[in-house]
Amino acid sequence: MEAKYNFADRFGDQVLRCSKCGLCQAVCPVFGAMLRPSYSARGKMLILKEVMDGTIELSDELIETLFQCTICKSCFENCPSGVDVPEIIRQTRRDMVQIGSCHPAFEGMNEVLKNHTNIYAEDEPEDFERERNKKAKYVYFIGCVGSYREDEATMSTLDLLDRLKVDYTLIDEVCCSGVLEDLGYQINERLARKNIDLILATGAKAVITGCPYCSRTFNSKPQYAELNDKGIKIIHVTQFLKGMDFGVKTDKLVTYHDPCDLGRHCGIYEEPREIVRKIAPRFAELRHNRVDALCCGAGGGVRGAYPKNSIAMARRRLQEVEEVGADVVLTECNSCVHNLSNAKLRKQKFRIYNISQFINELMEGTE
Amino acid sequence: MDETVKKALLDIVREENFSDSLIDLISDSYDASEHKHRPDVAVWPQNTEQVSAILKLANEYKVPVTPRGAGTSLSGTTVPVQGGIVLDMLRMDKILEIRVEDRLVVVEPGVVYDQLEKALDSYGFFFPPDPASGVVSTLGGNVAVNAGGLKGVKYGTTKDYVLGLEVVLANGSVLRTGSRCMKCVSGYDLTKLFVGSEGTLGVITEITLKVNPKPPAIATCTAYFDDMADAGSAISETMRSGILPRTLEFLDDQCIVALNQGTDLNLPEVAAMVLAETDGFTQEGADYEMDKVIEVFERNNARGITRAYSPEEAEHLWTARKSFGGVITRLKNNFIVDDTTVPISKLPEMLTGVKAISKRYNVPIATMGHLGDGNLHPNILYDGIDPEEIARVRKATADIFKLGLELGGTLTGEHGIGLAKAEFMPLEHDEVAMEVMRSIKRLFDPNNILNPGKMGLEV
Amino acid sequence: MEIRGYNMPEDLYYEQNHFWVRDEGDVLVMGMDDFAQILAGEIVYVQLPEEGKILKAGKRFAKMESGKWLGKVYAPVNGELVAVNEELETNPGLINDDCYGKGWMYKIKPEDKGELDNLMHTHEELDTWLAEDIEKYVKE
Repeated sequence: MEAKYNFADRFGDQVLRCSKCGLCQAVCPVFGAMLRPSYSARGKMLILKEVMDGTIELSDELIETLFQCTICKSCFENCPSGVDVPEIIRQTRRDMVQIGSCHPAFEGMNEVLKNHTNIYAEDEPEDFERERNKKAKYVYFIGCVGSYREDEATMSTLDLLDRLKVDYTLIDEVCCSGVLEDLGYQINERLARKNIDLILATGAKAVITGCPYCSRTFNSKPQYAELNDKGIKIIHVTQFLKGMDFGVKTDKLVTYHDPCDLGRHCGIYEEPREIVRKIAPRFAELRHNRVDALCCGAGGGVRGAYPKNSIAMARRRLQEVEEVGADVVLTECNSCVHNLSNAKLRKQKFRIYNISQFINELMEGTE
Repeated sequence: MDETVKKALLDIVREENFSDSLIDLISDSYDASEHKHRPDVAVWPQNTEQVSAILKLANEYKVPVTPRGAGTSLSGTTVPVQGGIVLDMLRMDKILEIRVEDRLVVVEPGVVYDQLEKALDSYGFFFPPDPASGVVSTLGGNVAVNAGGLKGVKYGTTKDYVLGLEVVLANGSVLRTGSRCMKCVSGYDLTKLFVGSEGTLGVITEITLKVNPKPPAIATCTAYFDDMADAGSAISETMRSGILPRTLEFLDDQCIVALNQGTDLNLPEVAAMVLAETDGFTQEGADYEMDKVIEVFERNNARGITRAYSPEEAEHLWTARKSFGGVITRLKNNFIVDDTTVPISKLPEMLTGVKAISKRYNVPIATMGHLGDGNLHPNILYDGIDPEEIARVRKATADIFKLGLELGGTLTGEHGIGLAKAEFMPLEHDEVAMEVMRSIKRLFDPNNILNPGKMGLEV
Repeated sequence: MEIRGYNMPEDLYYEQNHFWVRDEGDVLVMGMDDFAQILAGEIVYVQLPEEGKILKAGKRFAKMESGKWLGKVYAPVNGELVAVNEELETNPGLINDDCYGKGWMYKIKPEDKGELDNLMHTHEELDTWLAEDIEKYVKE
């Protein structure tokens, strides 16, 4: 008997393998912040089991949990039964979109990207006082959050690249649209084409980006395969900066937050730390780090659809920063910086920066 | 459910702590067992006053109330089989006091076990029971079920550490039991009545726990046995060799096969593997006890005895035991885990008996457990779709219970009766005991609203 | 008073980015107006700079966000930021619930209260302004 929904077809055996042990509750950021069983990976699997056995159908009533997952992969890393909840959620969201049951914020994002260049439908990015679309060795791809929400951080990173005399250019970039694949939609081909054309036109041999989500999208999605085919490398800025000497140090106590998209999704844990240790001899790990890092709460579309819960998750992560007594939290993902900064309380005196931004501040002597 | 009741609940806990949404009703239908049933509503009380108001309301309208912590019960203890209200205690999650000078802590029921352990660490203290679910299970749940754990051999179980409780009774009145003293024999020991009562006599809203100084020294070893009965003897002999290890864990051949299939541990495919751990305030002490353990093991034909000489090596030795949960569902997609417990001297017979049952019904059973206190965990594996297989599994389960009882054991060492073993209660408790238990239940809960349908106490 | 369906109290002064200012003697209180809070949707974040920050009229000194929108907050007058509404840190939705009362955002010690004359105040000014902005921003 063929399954009614694609998620059941592709992942039914995994959904059934969930033994309901509940261990995911220890690591799920949504559950951890909201303490609501329906939000944990187990809750989602129990609901999908009932869909599979016909007790309920996919419907609007399920949106609140099926669309509230940051796709951080912590559950999968800790599931004794190896249930790939993130993949199952991605497919289920596609099924939900097909039947017309999608979170309005995600539907909205898909629509916005049909008609605009970025997820915020804002048409005037900061110009960052730099030329775009030149011929150069590297393209620096900022990403939507960096362009429209964390412009200060982006400016700092670009200043750093200038100090290091990197031959790069910005482009009239548009949203990589990779996020749509997490929301139940697909990459916007028009936008992908635009990015590819702009990148190729610069003659660059590599694209550096501060956004690990964009770098993952360029590296793994077929719509961007042409870049790989033409030998263009995609590098996250931490991979680019690794090995360089900046000649600056701080005596502040510094810690590092692993972005999910760089860490669990790409396995990049040590390169950023190498850079951080070079500039910050006083380094402390957060309680949950590397593969166990606690998600900041912004991913999987959650910051757009459930902003208050998203910020509550970030606040939980920041408690770990407080615990360790750090003066500075470094990361390299604008989405993390954005969500963590929004969540930081006034009484919390530590500062939050991208690594590249912080190095620039040190070099400028303004940190 | 009456709209009046829903509205009244909303008034008590407010919108953000109330749900009758489908997603919550579904999630709260389940725990970690095979049982399920939908509730009508879920509420998250913030304090004792709210719990009291909720129970008073439920008692008046005769609405069932099922308390819930992390929902990791293996016995169906927290499945709302008669619908009604799920009382989710997770948002009462504060550690109220840590007073090592009085050797106690006071916690709200929603505090996760691990959360307490981490808080105690900096004081050099620990809370011994150490249930395997400790990363997620809550102290309210641990107390309600009298949870055991990996260190039960030496340190006993949850009940040995509960000094006092605050419990809301079915009519909403708030009862305080016990004392903040290390010793108290004033009045009836009501505390012990509620510990392990599985939410059927009252809802726990505050817990005072005794804590221990944490021994810094540990010694760990693993050993293999070609004969399962040897492993059983090794364990029971260790327990009378004049020392007290803190952990004695057992994995049978089926467990080893599963581990080799699901990991790259490459364990020797023997009849049994045993892990032993001792602790002490000096390394000499811990090592002395470990020497004795190893002597006993050698006398019982153990081979491949590996001893850890560093924390990293110890962690490595624990890998097999800790990985087992992860490999079970790769063999078959369903399993029932029981916790039949027998007197220590009966272990060899029990282990052999379980093997025979597995053969008799042609149902794979991977047995592991805290054999140091006679607590087996037979994992009965099955596919869950074939009704004929399910029937055989039920028979095998029943036979394991009967065997355990015949050997002077008990239906459950630590997971509780819940739904899973309810029908077998009369096999373990005679009519006098059953009637006394029912009377107590009737006394505390005349309208049978507190977690009804559990523990086989239905009149 | 109600203007074109929005609550715009007449004792307040209004800055063109839809922030109101109330004269409380030594100090000016500032917040977001009804038109903007409705358009923005539920406010989820308000930046609360350190007290003592020097404000330059027309210059951005803070930012705020709703689920879908990032707003820049511009100083309506020259002065010094002397207080912020700390409630907004954990309950930014107060701006939606009560934008003129509990949802106040900043308190400013003005350099020269005369600068209030640069802001909109009369019924006529507000009506014209709202008409324009409704046209611009309120999509059918």
